[in-house]
Amino acid sequence: MRWRIDLEESLAIALSALRANKARGVLTTLGIIIGIVAVIMTMTAAHGLQSAFRQSFSAVGSDVIYVSRFPWIIMNDFFLYRNRPPMDLHDADELAARLKGKAIVNPTMGGQQDVKYLNETMDGVSIVGTTEKRTLVASGQADKGHFLTDFEVQYKKNVCVIGTDIEKALFKGTDPLGKELKIGRATFRVVGVMEKQGGGFLGGPSLDRQIYVPITSYIRAYGGKRLDVNLGVKARTQEGLDDLEYEVIGQMRTIRGLRPNEKDDFSINKLDTLVGAFDNVMGVVLLVGLLITSISLFVGGVGVMNVMFVSVTERTREIGIRKAIGAKPHSILFQFLFESAAICLTGGFIGIAIASLLTAVLNATVMPASVSPGILLTAVVVAVAVGGIAGLMPALKGARMNPVDALRYE
Amino acid sequence: MRPTNGNPPSTNGASLELRDVVKTYVMGADTVHALRGVSLDIHRNEYVAVMGPSGSGKSTLMNVIGCLDVPTSGTYALEGQMVATMSEYQLADIRNQRIGFVFQTFNLIPRSNIFHNVELPLIYAGVAKSKRRERVESAIDRVGLANRIKHKPNELSGGQRQRVAIARALVGNPSIILADEPTGNLDSKTGDEIMALLDELHAAGQTIILVTHEDYIAEHAHRIIRLRDGIIESDQVVSRRTG
Ligand SMILES: Nc1ncnc2c1ncn2[C@@H]1O[C@H](COP(=O)(O)OP(=O)(O)OP(=O)(O)O)[C@@H](O)[C@H]1O
Ligand SMILES: [Mg+2]
Repeated sequence: MRWRIDLEESLAIALSALRANKARGVLTTLGIIIGIVAVIMTMTAAHGLQSAFRQSFSAVGSDVIYVSRFPWIIMNDFFLYRNRPPMDLHDADELAARLKGKAIVNPTMGGQQDVKYLNETMDGVSIVGTTEKRTLVASGQADKGHFLTDFEVQYKKNVCVIGTDIEKALFKGTDPLGKELKIGRATFRVVGVMEKQGGGFLGGPSLDRQIYVPITSYIRAYGGKRLDVNLGVKARTQEGLDDLEYEVIGQMRTIRGLRPNEKDDFSINKLDTLVGAFDNVMGVVLLVGLLITSISLFVGGVGVMNVMFVSVTERTREIGIRKAIGAKPHSILFQFLFESAAICLTGGFIGIAIASLLTAVLNATVMPASVSPGILLTAVVVAVAVGGIAGLMPALKGARMNPVDALRYE
Repeated sequence: MRPTNGNPPSTNGASLELRDVVKTYVMGADTVHALRGVSLDIHRNEYVAVMGPSGSGKSTLMNVIGCLDVPTSGTYALEGQMVATMSEYQLADIRNQRIGFVFQTFNLIPRSNIFHNVELPLIYAGVAKSKRRERVESAIDRVGLANRIKHKPNELSGGQRQRVAIARALVGNPSIILADEPTGNLDSKTGDEIMALLDELHAAGQTIILVTHEDYIAEHAHRIIRLRDGIIESDQVVSRRTG
């Protein structure tokens, strides 16, 4: 009860001190505002990157193994893989045959081509050569028309299924089905349009800016020695991913004619591999964000501490008066702690407002981003903590003042 | 480290007892002996004036009595309680509940209105809000400022400010009121008004110790203690004035 009464008084003094020195308080909050904006933006960016990542690779499928000539993530060990023989459709057929229907094997290859329809062109569109099995191993179905068929793949038909971005850019609302597209040097007839899938952040490939063609036609149109087929392998049964991987490795070694002492000349890739690499990138992003955040919060905190020292010194005589009539050290301590916490909290709220605006801009331009309640709570806690820490030394100085000396202060 | 601050036998039932109180300030190489051994008893409802030349230790003595400062050596018992060995928190409680200070420079909180200034000791005593109002208003009423309750100190004259300070000293029902040159910043007429107020409080049973340089102020008291160089030079009871 007694504590509550004099803490109320401490809070009232702190607030009236702030009202009396508005301009100074506002200037001081600047450092805190920047710090809090940094806190929120770091967390929001990390959050946004993560969900953008998930969306972009939602098509990959976590239950699919990809057999490729090279690993997806190559650091500086490319020389290890350089001499591997290419992977082709023959490998795909062999693997499918040897797995005896236990798994679906879908070969894929891709590259970039310029696409033209009448007078409209799109540069550097990603063209994916694949088979009718793609819809079984990856997400995304045709929305209009149909996806590539067994027949179209087998007979190397020049047909294509386009993403929604392509449809929008080239056809402008007219029906694309049956129209002829010029993809690089070859001509393809549109037989389907994919459903909208999203993805594609920070300039990465959007799933909606892709064109699927039969892999056989792809090889005929653009093929050459350097083309490499990726095999997506998905178990038909509930067989575990590890068992499937083990079997695929064994079969691939046989197909590629490797002796027991030879190393694999192909790589097994999984979503996990990407996730791991992504987590590393995220770690760096977070670390850099954290560094910027802590530097700006530190600078902001020092500013607040400085102002609080000024405030304590200005009020030396008042501290003396309060002590002379019975204020306990903790009453004085909290008076100043509340003042600096209030400064920081104000900065925190302004920071939250600015960060929310920036997040909205980010969301509209670069990547999906939103300020979650958890992030807001963190920002408020950080602001109060900085206020407490920055105010502690000045507040202790005030609390420990000798009343006689404080009363003599001019 | 801290001995018990229990109640050593009070030899003579005095309100406060100082024995061989020494206060020394060390400033670099210099030591200033502000009090060199002061022994003093003051009883309930005494009205004491402390006089002496500037620098003789009057304020230092008041600070020790008011528990704003602790003696370098010697003992001080306030209503039977040893003060010299008390913790900062206990001293704050003593100042809050047993002492009412009135300063030469008023020492009001400038941003707070009169009501809040007078209310402060009760806040630090932890008195509930509902019980504070009546006590604050009656203290302000007692010094004749009931119509200024919402004013800030800088909207009042010096005499009125000192009245507020007296109301603040009174509000907690202290054992002693200590007034260090309460009329020092006032003209003689206003000083007389303040002294009349103190006389009234004394008549109502209050113990009062005041410091002054003026004989006509000291005449209000019933006992005059003269200090010189940190020692009591004389301590005499003044014959009661009539009326
Ligand atoms: N905090 C301090 N530090 C150092 N010396 C001090 C301190 N307080 C008082 N003194 C010294 O102690 C001595 C007594 O001071 P004090 O204030 O008690 O005198 P005083 O009798 O009240 O004088 P005045 O009539 O001018 O108010 C003086 O010499 C003064 O310089
Ligand atoms: Mg003095």
